[in-house]
Amino acid sequence: MKAGTIYDELARGGISRREFMKICGLLAGALGLTSVPPVDVNAAYDALRKPDGLVNLVAEALQTKPRLPVIWLEFQDCAGCTEALTRSHDPTLVNLVLNTIDIEYHETLFAAAGAQAEAAKEAAIKKYAGQYVLVVEGSISPGSGQIYCTIGGRGSGDLLQEAAANAFAVVATGNCATFGGLPRANPDPTGAVGVMDLVTDKPVINVPGCPAIPEVFTGTLFHLLVFGAPPELDSLKRPMPFYANTIHDRCLRRPYYEAGLFADSFDDDGARKGYCLYKLGCKGPTTYNSCATIKWMEGLSFPIQAGHPCLGCSEPNFWDGGGFYQGQSAPLLRPAAALAAGAGAVGLVLGAGMATANQAQKKRAHPTEQHKE
Amino acid sequence: MNWLAILDFARGPFFEVALLVFIGGLAYRLMRILLLGWHFDRIKPAGSKLGGALISYLRGILIWPFIPWVRNTFSKNPVIYIAGGLFHLGLFAVIFLDAAHILAWQSLLGFGWPSLVTPIVDWLAAIAIVAMILLFINRLVNPVLKLISGPAEWLNLLFVFIPMLSGYIMAHHLFFAYEVNFSIHMLAVDILLIWIPLSRISHFMFYFFARAIHGADFGKRAVIP
Amino acid sequence: MQAQTAVNTFVHETGGWVASQLEACTRCGMCAEACHFYQGTGNPELAPVWKVELLKRAYEQRFTIIGKLKLATGIDHHVTDDNLLHWSKIVYEACTLCNKCSMVCPMGIQLGPLIHEVRTGLSAAGMVPADLMSAVHKQEAEGSPLGVTDSVYDDRLEFFEDEYEIKLPVDKKGADTLVVFSSIEIMKYPGNIAAIAKILNAAGENWTLSHAGREVVNFAFFEGDNEETVLFLKRIFDAAKDLGVKRIVVTECGHAYDAIRWTAANLMDVPEGVEITHIAHLLGELVRTGRIKLKEGMYDNGGTITFHDACKIQRRGGHIQEPRDVLHVLAPKSFKEMIPNRAEAICCGGGGGVIAIKEADPYRYAAFELKVDQLKKVGASTVVMGCSNCRLQFDDCVQHFNLDVKVAGLSQMVADALIE
Ligand code: SF4
Ligand code: SF4
Ligand code: SF4
Repeated sequence: MKAGTIYDELARGGISRREFMKICGLLAGALGLTSVPPVDVNAAYDALRKPDGLVNLVAEALQTKPRLPVIWLEFQDCAGCTEALTRSHDPTLVNLVLNTIDIEYHETLFAAAGAQAEAAKEAAIKKYAGQYVLVVEGSISPGSGQIYCTIGGRGSGDLLQEAAANAFAVVATGNCATFGGLPRANPDPTGAVGVMDLVTDKPVINVPGCPAIPEVFTGTLFHLLVFGAPPELDSLKRPMPFYANTIHDRCLRRPYYEAGLFADSFDDDGARKGYCLYKLGCKGPTTYNSCATIKWMEGLSFPIQAGHPCLGCSEPNFWDGGGFYQGQSAPLLRPAAALAAGAGAVGLVLGAGMATANQAQKKRAHPTEQHKE
Repeated sequence: MNWLAILDFARGPFFEVALLVFIGGLAYRLMRILLLGWHFDRIKPAGSKLGGALISYLRGILIWPFIPWVRNTFSKNPVIYIAGGLFHLGLFAVIFLDAAHILAWQSLLGFGWPSLVTPIVDWLAAIAIVAMILLFINRLVNPVLKLISGPAEWLNLLFVFIPMLSGYIMAHHLFFAYEVNFSIHMLAVDILLIWIPLSRISHFMFYFFARAIHGADFGKRAVIP
Repeated sequence: MQAQTAVNTFVHETGGWVASQLEACTRCGMCAEACHFYQGTGNPELAPVWKVELLKRAYEQRFTIIGKLKLATGIDHHVTDDNLLHWSKIVYEACTLCNKCSMVCPMGIQLGPLIHEVRTGLSAAGMVPADLMSAVHKQEAEGSPLGVTDSVYDDRLEFFEDEYEIKLPVDKKGADTLVVFSSIEIMKYPGNIAAIAKILNAAGENWTLSHAGREVVNFAFFEGDNEETVLFLKRIFDAAKDLGVKRIVVTECGHAYDAIRWTAANLMDVPEGVEITHIAHLLGELVRTGRIKLKEGMYDNGGTITFHDACKIQRRGGHIQEPRDVLHVLAPKSFKEMIPNRAEAICCGGGGGVIAIKEADPYRYAAFELKVDQLKKVGASTVVMGCSNCRLQFDDCVQHFNLDVKVAGLSQMVADALIE
């Protein structure tokens, strides 16, 4: 057993072996894994195929690895993802995972400030080069001479590149860091982009949401800790264990959708009966996330359960992808009345022109005219 | 490939352009006919032209005048008649009475109306799709249809069939991810919108001319009402 | 060159009326199901929609951008003289302009009148079957396609007066009603003339015939030649004006009725205040108002009687109910309808000039097969009609198909049942 492992620390804190194995069992759940993920990581996966394999795998990781160093950067954000994480109370899965990582730098949580804080960050980047996970919250504004969103006089693009250079993986949390989020919404004054638009030489893992579901975020970090590699990702770099299904696929109101029973407003009979919220603008059918299964507030509820349609916050362009309360089948853009009238008018004029030309043709084709020719 | 971006394009700018082409194109077609010159009818009528036209519309819509087994006209080829009718019935039910489509109308027109319950729309859609397949086969084998079908006729079938089929697949979450089906559906709808003014699918507009002419003529001659 | 003339005529004739209907066609092919020529032969080229294809092509190529693009890309080709030959054959020999197809077309497209437009173009290009053409020339020169010149007319009338012991007033100034017979009646169905004279006299009608307006048949209308059509119509209208009559009664000829009642005013100035009606209408009126009395049920004991609707008198003429009213008096028990009937009736296959064209005989017989079917289904022993052109076709086909069916004219049946 190596010195400085997570287990060592726990043992020093008076945790017995029995308790340790219990924690491992709980933590295994954080991975969001009920079966072996089809990731070709390493032979450790063989362990998973045995009964209790996952627990043993977690135990082994905790006994052999030190706490995972994390550097947390915030750019154009609202700290909502941080808030969501820190508001989970003991003893939750989230907090258990948070105990397995070391946050070396975090603007909101850090006691230090100013040059002192920046120095700490630089030190951590050097000390844990190639080992730390870079978490990014908020979108980046690499253009416009980087005048937007500066920290210590430096632009967000530079700060990201600097911290990413030595990271072993980058986790983007929340819709802003993943797809640009609210800052990227029309008219997008800062030219906001997500992490994956800038970092291309490191594994980038997107954990979108507004905010990201705490269990999903910590589960992703824990996966990095246990397997030393990212989980399988979808085409938008989202971890498959949490983003493989749509909200609609797992929605508790789905039977009503299939039966064609919809709430037409927020306080009608249908709404009271718990009918499907599609007509109220639900984006569940195209939104991949775990809200409907993991839910929020320690599994208490989630928006659709509480009577509010899904906003589609884990998808790109969710601010501009149709009004929150407009049914998804409605077009995103529709010609303004004036434009439509204009198109009609152009058609009418061209049609009238063609008709006039054809009238002239008719006259020329008159039998008596033909004789003259 | 990011399907959501394709979907946003198909529901956004492409749809807008397609709709403008649709409106402008139909206006053009309409005007070209309206201003081509109409003769003033100097024949002394024996009956009411207006009444005839009204009856003609009703007959056209209620379809009863040539129900095959009564009128003995379609006894040789009932498929063409029944499938054609069912196809249009299903199409109208889906376009105008399906909950999701009413939301689209609502966003375009500013007002909506009650929808038909989903399972019924669903069945009508399925019937319409089957009817289209029958019409397609009929066009392949019927000697008259073989004679009068050019590329445009086949494209008509195709451009109507894809939105219908993709819509059905999407509603039932079959084969592909929802946003993929949705994208295909919307792209197909956009293409259809552009194709309509270029093709004979615009018959829904000239229907009113032809029906009125037919009815007025029959009304004038006191054949109907 | 001929093609050019035809296309130019189409262009000239095509207004909103033609164009909107051509645009409405969905190419569904349903109209074929209605056409007795297609049904009789199974030849797809006889489908109504194909018959107007020539007009449609001319319209597309000359009036629409898509049509021009089609020409440029080789999807469509310019109309050729060979095309005219093809369409001349199908629109003159295999179409009676019965307009049944418009009853079936889901759009209600007036295919009959559109095919008439096709004929107009072909006639301008001189692509008319020789038999029809010579009939038109004969009507132009002699006043009648069957050669009823002035002297023949006098001879025939004199003969009828002797034979049937009736009075036939000719050129009587101050008469109310001008009756115009068709030469088919004069030459082939003199019984009709006698019958109508008898009925009118019995009703106390003040009527007359006319030398100048002795022929109601209008072969130029068959041909689609508007100028000549007007010429032939003018003869009748002039006679009516000369004699100062109040109404013109067209006897048992359908196409002529379509021309003079439903077309003339749009082609020429027609005398004002002169009512134009059909003998079928007059018969119904006389019976309804009691101006003539008929032996009720007179024909009830001779087997089933059925009525054949002439396209131009019933579906296109509007006199659907009157003959039925009369038949319900004459044969209330044995009168039975064929199906379909009235406005949806199946054409006899001989109208529109078809019967005048020798080459059209195979089509004509094939089309009549539908009628044979109907007659057999209803079990008719007598078939009545109000058009002598239909009657020619029935007489010929009853023989051709060896049917045991009596063919009768409505007027004659009425005349025979008169209570003096
Ligand atoms: S509420 Fe939303 S996610 Fe749930 S069934 Fe309805 S549309 Fe789907
Ligand atoms: S008018 Fe009569 S004969 Fe001519 S195509 Fe139509 S159905 Fe056939
Ligand atoms: S039935 Fe009417 S719409 Fe159909 S092909 Fe014939 S003319 Fe065209």
